[in-house]
Amino acid sequence: MRTSLFTAGAVAIAAALTLAGPAQAAEPDAQLSVLHGVPGLTVDVWVNGERTLDDFAPGTLAGPLALPAGAYELAITAADAKDASAPVIGPVKVNLAASGNYTAVANLDAAGKPTANFFTNDVSQIGPGKGKLTVRHTAAAPAVDILAGGAPVISNLANPKEKTLTLDPGTLSVAVAAAGTTAPVIGPADVTVAEGTHTVVYAWGSLADKNLKLAVQNIEGLHSAPGGVPGGRAGAADAGTAPVDQTAVTVGIGAAVLLLLVGGVAAARRQPAFRRTR
Amino acid sequence: MLRTTAKATRRLHAGVPQRSAQRSAARIAASAALVALLIAGCAAPQLSSAPLPPGTAGMGTAAPVTGRPGAEMPPQPQPTQPVQVTPAPAPKSAVPKSAIPVRPAAPVASPAKDPAPRFLTVAGTTINMPIVKVGVSPDGAMEIPEPFNQAGWYRFGPAPGAAAGTAVVAAHVDTTSDAAPFSQLKSLAPGTLVTVQRIGALPLNFRVIQVELMAKDAFDGASVFRRDGPPQLKLVTCGGRWLDEQQNYGDNVIVTAVPA
Repeated sequence: MRTSLFTAGAVAIAAALTLAGPAQAAEPDAQLSVLHGVPGLTVDVWVNGERTLDDFAPGTLAGPLALPAGAYELAITAADAKDASAPVIGPVKVNLAASGNYTAVANLDAAGKPTANFFTNDVSQIGPGKGKLTVRHTAAAPAVDILAGGAPVISNLANPKEKTLTLDPGTLSVAVAAAGTTAPVIGPADVTVAEGTHTVVYAWGSLADKNLKLAVQNIEGLHSAPGGVPGGRAGAADAGTAPVDQTAVTVGIGAAVLLLLVGGVAAARRQPAFRRTR
Repeated sequence: MLRTTAKATRRLHAGVPQRSAQRSAARIAASAALVALLIAGCAAPQLSSAPLPPGTAGMGTAAPVTGRPGAEMPPQPQPTQPVQVTPAPAPKSAVPKSAIPVRPAAPVASPAKDPAPRFLTVAGTTINMPIVKVGVSPDGAMEIPEPFNQAGWYRFGPAPGAAAGTAVVAAHVDTTSDAAPFSQLKSLAPGTLVTVQRIGALPLNFRVIQVELMAKDAFDGASVFRRDGPPQLKLVTCGGRWLDEQQNYGDNVIVTAVPA
């Protein structure tokens, strides 16, 4: 019986490795979001000639859409278009990298003409206890300052530029003013920057048409763990020569696998609840 | 698995009674599943790795865990920490159209938070202390309340009672001259009752399933401060030997408790 279990274990390992192989080799998809920032224009969005978003309204955010890495052609047409041959914006050729995170924005340029911008979103891990705020100027307006609580935090941001801040998490009262001024042309509006989240704020619309607005995209799950838990002070609770370490039995995962292979399932059940991790 | 099947067949032909062969195949399958699980465990650094003590097997970990509401992760099978959740492969030629979420992008109020913990009691010990909210100190470590009889809850992670992830509550193990209440963590028996009172919500009971020493120089933050997977309470302090030259303990003592 021992022999057969051992053989079975070896077969199982081989099977597990075979199963694990392709999954690890596959390239992770890219994530694409699409923001509609052109006032008064309902559109269809086409990816590689296929209608992907139907009747897409201004001020809405679509996605994220998981796409295999590669080159894509994005086009925006009137909402009733039969195909992508007569786009109102684009076509735009974009390259999506594996694991990349992107936002395509249909918006007005500084002069008020519909255009498209393709942003790469920073999805790197954020330090513990922090959040990230990016502001993107995608509005028909001159350069602006971004105010938080009335004070400028980003200065002289022009269409289609972006700027990123790493902040303590919290809710900010965000306003947008013409560069060098503090009179809001947008807001103030509450924007929450959560820990471990990258919040992307878009200024969109048109200053001349008095329809400037903010749009918000949140990319969650970028948190990281604190580096340690420093719960000691002076050594008064030293384990000493006796207790903890002697009752603890060092059983690594690798050793546990060996135990299983040799002794079968029963041996694994006898592992102590108290173990030492190293 | 192909080899396993072939082997079972061969034994059948050799005249082994069928029931025995089936039992053996079942055993092989069970063993394969277990080994596969362990291998998954090795590959996932965040996985809380120690086995449960007898009698508590599966407690709090057997139920499938659903992702936190609003999170974009799909429900995950056990064990809950696969390193990479591989999304369904998108067809190369056709771009999927139906399931693309579309939402208004106007700024919205932040979602309601789970109630914060305010008091901690561990049965059979003198651990009976208020819990305050803490964050991260300038050096990147978790903040620990200065008073020896006060515990800190890591406010950026899940709260006790959250649907998923670990709620981390830590306190000092000593004062400048004596052991503090959390020095009793290392001797907690499996099954010990832990009660957490909350602000504006009913108290919660937890049962200890594991006491673990984790070397500080191999601190596995991703497993201690986990945001998804099964809901657990982690009580953390320092322990092991006091290292004079480092003015620090060698280990963290980490107690894992699950909803009772």
